[in-house]
Amino acid sequence: MTKREFMTLLSDELRKRKITDTEDIIEEYEQHFAFKLADGFSEEEIAARLGDPADIAAQFNSAPQPGAKPSAVTTWLWLVWSDLFFGIFAVLLLSFGIVLAACVLSFGVTGVCLIADISRLPFVTFPEMPYWCGAILGISLLALCTLSVAGCIWYFAFYRQIFRSYGRFHRNALASAKGEASLPALPVSPRFSAKNRRRLRSFALISLALFVVCFVLSFIACCLSAGSLQFWHTWGWFMN
Amino acid sequence: MNAQYKKGVLELCVLSLLIKRDCYGYEIADFLSGHIDIADGTVYPLLRKLKADGLLTTYLQEESGGPPRKYYKLTELGRETYKNDRAEYLKFAQSVKKLLEDESND
Repeated sequence: MTKREFMTLLSDELRKRKITDTEDIIEEYEQHFAFKLADGFSEEEIAARLGDPADIAAQFNSAPQPGAKPSAVTTWLWLVWSDLFFGIFAVLLLSFGIVLAACVLSFGVTGVCLIADISRLPFVTFPEMPYWCGAILGISLLALCTLSVAGCIWYFAFYRQIFRSYGRFHRNALASAKGEASLPALPVSPRFSAKNRRRLRSFALISLALFVVCFVLSFIACCLSAGSLQFWHTWGWFMN
Repeated sequence: MNAQYKKGVLELCVLSLLIKRDCYGYEIADFLSGHIDIADGTVYPLLRKLKADGLLTTYLQEESGGPPRKYYKLTELGRETYKNDRAEYLKFAQSVKKLLEDESND
């Protein structure tokens, strides 16, 4: 018996016995042929080893049909419900991402202004302080800016992965309602290559170290030049 | 050997294979027909029955250069069933062996 004869007989027998998911069953036997053929067996040999198609179909008949799954309607209702919550959650997370991006922008602009000695911007006036104190503080703010950039990159990768992971869950829920096989679930943590992960981490650590060092230095510089631990009072920062 | 008799034990053999690792259908069929004298085709109905009984689940895994393979994986129920059935079978087989050997000694 050739492969084609075997397959035709098998699907005829399965249909005769009103067995569901015949494509799924046929697929298993197709793969069986593919593997055996790759091992160098002839179609006739493989078919003979498999046994009589009618016998095989009868064995599927005695197996209970995969049932007891929730109806499609229930699954749909659940999915709409969980989509709703996921949507709210996604908006909430996105707003946090926007705040993070705004931090990057504001730290960057403030740092550049302090270093370039620009004391006035539209709508903003910087508090008075000696140039060098401001410049060191500016460097620390730029470091904070790059730290936030690293945070942003990680966060948006995380955000993207959440969507992918949820999409996979959504797909699997529908597939199981239809009685199809499900794909493996996806992890929520962002996927970076080992190289990129190392880069991102060292970038963040260097930024953090630079920020801490420069911030402390600028604080000390301010205290020394104002001659007081509470230099903001000396320079009258919070008085109108 | 009686085919009906083999079929019951075959389920146990499938479970024993899957408790070690997840396998795709052909792996199981090839391994079992290599060890026990059965028609290759009988393993697939068995896998389907075990899945319908809730002892196995399936998932698809993409393979490089080929269609995704359907892998079989033991469920928690499958693990428990395997442990119980294994112990039961070994006890049973031991008693049978003892009985049969006694007879030949007479």
